[in-house]
Amino acid sequence: MVADPFAALSAAITMAGTGIATAWAEKVVGGATVGAMAEKPELFGRGLILMVLPETIVVFGLVIALQLLSKVGAP
Amino acid sequence: MARAVIAGPRDKLASVITTLHEMKLIHIIDHHGEDDTFRIGKPLPPAAELSENLVKLRSIATLLAVKTAPKKEETVRIEELREKIVALELNITEEDAARKKAEALLSDLSRRIDELRPFAALGLPLDTYRGYESIAAVVGRIAREVSAADFEDMPVEVFLAPGFVAVFTPKSTVDQALGVLARFGFTQVDIPAGEGNPKDLLDEALADLEKWKQRLVEIEARLDTLRERYAGFVIAAEEVLEVEVDKAEAPLRFAVSDHSFVIDGWLPSARSPDLRARFEAMGIFVESEDPNGAHEAEEPPVLLRNPKPAKPFEFLVHLYSTPSYHELDPTQFLFLAAPFFFGFMIGDAGYGALFIALGIVATVRLSRESIWWRIFAVTAIGGVWALLLGLFIFGEAFGVPFHPPPTHLEELSFESFGISIPIQPVIHKAFGVASMVYLSILFAAMHLGTAYIIGFVNQIRHNKKHAIAKLGWFLCLFGLFTLLTFSLRWNPIAEWVWNVPLGWFPRTIEPLGLSGFVGVRLPLVSLLLIFGAFLGLTESVIAPIEIAGLLANVMSYTRLAGLGIGKAAIASAFNTILFRGMIFPGQIGFVILGIVFLVMAQLLVFLLGWISAGIQALRLNYVEAFIKFYKGNGTPFRPFGMRTTQEV
Repeated sequence: MVADPFAALSAAITMAGTGIATAWAEKVVGGATVGAMAEKPELFGRGLILMVLPETIVVFGLVIALQLLSKVGAP
Repeated sequence: MARAVIAGPRDKLASVITTLHEMKLIHIIDHHGEDDTFRIGKPLPPAAELSENLVKLRSIATLLAVKTAPKKEETVRIEELREKIVALELNITEEDAARKKAEALLSDLSRRIDELRPFAALGLPLDTYRGYESIAAVVGRIAREVSAADFEDMPVEVFLAPGFVAVFTPKSTVDQALGVLARFGFTQVDIPAGEGNPKDLLDEALADLEKWKQRLVEIEARLDTLRERYAGFVIAAEEVLEVEVDKAEAPLRFAVSDHSFVIDGWLPSARSPDLRARFEAMGIFVESEDPNGAHEAEEPPVLLRNPKPAKPFEFLVHLYSTPSYHELDPTQFLFLAAPFFFGFMIGDAGYGALFIALGIVATVRLSRESIWWRIFAVTAIGGVWALLLGLFIFGEAFGVPFHPPPTHLEELSFESFGISIPIQPVIHKAFGVASMVYLSILFAAMHLGTAYIIGFVNQIRHNKKHAIAKLGWFLCLFGLFTLLTFSLRWNPIAEWVWNVPLGWFPRTIEPLGLSGFVGVRLPLVSLLLIFGAFLGLTESVIAPIEIAGLLANVMSYTRLAGLGIGKAAIASAFNTILFRGMIFPGQIGFVILGIVFLVMAQLLVFLLGWISAGIQALRLNYVEAFIKFYKGNGTPFRPFGMRTTQEV
């Protein structure tokens, strides 16, 4: 798969952007979860769910990046 | 579960509690005492003394720092407990007080030594610093060397030691002297109490310090002996006492009148004849009834029953939420889906075998109660899938493929080591991205579809409208899936699915011209099925908007492909760099270093894979699937007499 350089660049920006967005969201959620868990340790399960929710953002980024590479990038 | 009521005369209360505790059968429902006749019971008479002993025992355990149970078990008799605890407490509090005193003295002494040390270096007797009418002594630490010349023509006398200075000056010029000293990073210190040569005082304090250190060691040794001798007793006694306190305080949960008592609770229906037989022999009245259907509002506690292999997954369900009594237990759903997803993301025969090996080691070494055993057992089942998929689908072990992909023969593979494995991979991860993504979508459809079917079964017994909504969502999901399969059918797997399992699906393209608008051609029936979501209106007004949410859910499963490829890519990058760069050239030093790095890199990939694949496999179940059918919020069944074990 030889991609158009601009498509490759776009894919890279997509991955970087969504990666940062996920990290930011998880930072906020994770901090709050640890705080809540300090008071009620049984919230671990709920906390874990909330914590991994934002990962979907980067998964979407991945899908878009793959689309960019295969559709736009294809000669 | 059956609801049971046990009633009897008050003088039999103690024996009933003992029997109940032995049977470990009843999940007691606390009585709240709103009734005038039946109030909350009072603890049995020995409760106060027992609790007091328990508190003492716990303080002893803390003082002795008893943590783990000793090897040999000790039997304790409740009658002699009190004497033994009082004696032990006396012994230990004495030693503890001595230890505290020694520690306090030691910290005082070391502070005094720190104070005296610079003065000892200066060598002036301590009384020379005090008691002048017109002269002040300024003493303190300095950062840089100062000399008498720095004070120019101020009337001062300066005494120096390394990093320390004493300046004697008339009181009128103190401020000026301080100003000079400030330039040298001066911090003033107090002059220590006492008289005479500070060197002698310092020696004295040092001797004292040694003496008290010695004493402290002796005290610690005595405490160690006590710990060794009594640790077994403390642990055993604590257990016995906890049980006794539990029993003695049980009446706080019962309804008790002047002459009788009533215990209300749940027990597994199959066991109610046992309970009745046991108590009726004692002359106690027992009434039990299965409330199925009759009391919808009742929320009996829940005891999960699953086949043995699925048992370790129960804790993952509790971690999310205990199922309520009126819905299906999702443990088996989780048992099928989570390890498969885990295995698909790992997708590597080598790591799979490692996970299985870890699971076997854990089974041999750990107790079944331990949370770690359950974690290892769950990942070992995932490891089985990883091994199978790694062998037969991906053809890969430890990140090294069995054969190089046909288009890239230069890639590192087992053939590079001269090993020929007669299994051809179906998908080569790094070059089969589209196939991996399509498989993820296929699994999404199957997983979410099953979730909707379970949701339908859950709801049909309670709320027909909600059941119809689940059905509508199932159709919508199927529509989305056929649409995705149709548009991805340039991929061989999608093509096969479209032509064989979906061979019956009507292939008519929608006639309205939407295709030009969206940019992809849309099969008519898929489009109609997606509108199945409108059946969701019976459940919620905003249902049609949720179609996008469902599509997002489906797309969310592409993490399966993403993580699978990502993990393989990291492993293969490490492998290629280390084998090609350090090991193959054959210089002995580099080979050894390369092997060390290789082991570290493999360990890193293994651990990362474990954590990320584990969490993602759980998440797909918790977030994407459970929301479709599972409510939870049940109360776990905790029979009276069962020691509460920490869940997580």
